[in-house]
Amino acid sequence: MTTLAVDAPIVTEQRTKAPLGRLLRAELRFMIRRPRTLVAFGVLVVAPIVAAIAMSVASSTSASGDGGPVVDGVAALVTENGLILPVFLLMLSLAMLLPMLGAMWSADALAGESSTGALRGLLLAPVSRVRLLGVKAFGVAVVSLLAVVTIALVAVVAGLAILGGGGMLTLSGSTLPFWPSIGRIALLALLVTIQVWAVAAVALAISAATDHPLVVMASTLGGIIIFTILGNIPALDWLHPVLLTDAWESLADVIRDPMPTDGMMNAVLRAGCYIVIGYSLALARMSTKDG
Amino acid sequence: MSTVTDMTIEQEAPAASAAGAPARLAARTRNLRKVYGTTVAVDHVDLDVPVGAVMGMLGPNGSGKTTTIRMILGLVLPTAGTVELLGHKMPEGASWALPEVGALVEGPGFHPFLSGRENLLRVAAAEPRLASRDIPRAVGQALERVGLSAAANRRYRGYSLGMKQRLGLASALLIPRRFVVLDEPTNGLDPAGTREVRAVIADLHAAGTTVLVSSHLLAEVEATCTHVAVLHQGSVVAQGGLAELLEAGDSGLLVATPDITVAVNTLRDNRIPVREAPTGVHVDLAATTAPEVVAALVGAGVAVHEVRRQRTGLEELFARLTQSAASGPQLSEVDSFEEQE
Repeated sequence: MTTLAVDAPIVTEQRTKAPLGRLLRAELRFMIRRPRTLVAFGVLVVAPIVAAIAMSVASSTSASGDGGPVVDGVAALVTENGLILPVFLLMLSLAMLLPMLGAMWSADALAGESSTGALRGLLLAPVSRVRLLGVKAFGVAVVSLLAVVTIALVAVVAGLAILGGGGMLTLSGSTLPFWPSIGRIALLALLVTIQVWAVAAVALAISAATDHPLVVMASTLGGIIIFTILGNIPALDWLHPVLLTDAWESLADVIRDPMPTDGMMNAVLRAGCYIVIGYSLALARMSTKDG
Repeated sequence: MSTVTDMTIEQEAPAASAAGAPARLAARTRNLRKVYGTTVAVDHVDLDVPVGAVMGMLGPNGSGKTTTIRMILGLVLPTAGTVELLGHKMPEGASWALPEVGALVEGPGFHPFLSGRENLLRVAAAEPRLASRDIPRAVGQALERVGLSAAANRRYRGYSLGMKQRLGLASALLIPRRFVVLDEPTNGLDPAGTREVRAVIADLHAAGTTVLVSSHLLAEVEATCTHVAVLHQGSVVAQGGLAELLEAGDSGLLVATPDITVAVNTLRDNRIPVREAPTGVHVDLAATTAPEVVAALVGAGVAVHEVRRQRTGLEELFARLTQSAASGPQLSEVDSFEEQE
């Protein structure tokens, strides 16, 4: 910047909105700088490595043949089959860790900002309420995607390096070569991300309705637990098609050969419904929320 | 469609409103009402903030100052009534009005894990009027203006209450504004900080910026404001120029004299209302003027040591306004209750 600019007037624009790109960048920078986000990503990086080492230890113990049938079974599955690790980890973290993170980011996005008073600053800038919700939803969606991609990437690298192998043994018994396996993992990562987005959308609706981030976390996670319990009661099978969590098991279809797509499509559709409902409720609440 | 007459009308409309200069208002509320559940927070508030004024909003805690400000800024939807901010109807016109409004409402709202500068950069990114290349410079200048340059890179978490308040002020002053709203700006500030806020308000006033400042500190309002609105239990009980409001209070003349009895008799003979005071007499100027009073006294040979115009302080005015508003059914209830005992 030249010295001339120091005396230049501060206001050079006559617009009524800040550029959208600038808002989105500021939101992402802010979210990623948060200590809790950094801790979460630390966990997401460490967990796959720890899991790979644990499996490697388990399989090397059982190589001597005294590990019992269960451990021998796991060993048989993972030895020279490192690319199954990202699939395991993505399915495992979809059960609790990823929904929790999605709920946390949604909780901070509106309820958290509202409790510190920072939301008021944005509304006064002004950022219109619809725009603000869009910016927040974008931030949560991008960071959720980053979380899933982080797990998948670290798990692929850790699986290949620690467990070895260049292909993937499918549930159908066949073995996929390297690149098709990577393709399946990428597909699973995308499907898991969409499910996390659905959870985050509902959490964002709750977040718009309260000033307490913990309320958002508790109700979202409580909801997931209740959904899981309901999904396990056979007498309520008429209810199962509307439960988000009920479709998650079908995502494991990515490691079947040939791959059935009905369950996955159903899961995506269900998540889409939750996303539409979640953002609609959030928008309705946001437009009358006190700043 | 677009005839010459249409164009003239469009061009003349803003000029006509500008011509009636005294009628130009930075903020205007009519019949404003806000109800939370069964609590009426604000009722029948007709507030006029003239352009260029420093309007002090005065009222005890819970009198509806902050709620009124939040409705003016479009943060809260009124239950009934209308708000105009810089000529735009709120909250629909927020995108047009708010870029020219700087506000510090209900204390500063920032993130503890970011430094003061990073917090301001985040707010600055959302300012429509700031070009992206000017953001760092605007933030630097705002920090400088509130005296936070030295602490700019420390985390907000470690800021004292006064520093937090200064950072809130800095975010309100990021760019030159037409209207600045400060809700209790001196909360938590030491005397030096309070003086700085006064200086900032004086600067804004000198630059032609309209300022709306709420406070429960009477001295602060009396020292900085040109206009006052007094709120009590959710209603405006008085508003107008500070000088006129103080003049409107019962103005009296305090005459210091040793000859109290003679003075009282003389003035009563002249049909001037008067009562005894500890060191002289107190004359009511409602029906007469000071020179007449002095002439009458001197003519009667009363030794006049000192004649002083007794100005009503803001504190007295405030006490009178809030008490008279509270009188009526509530006071009589208390009275009758005491009588029964």
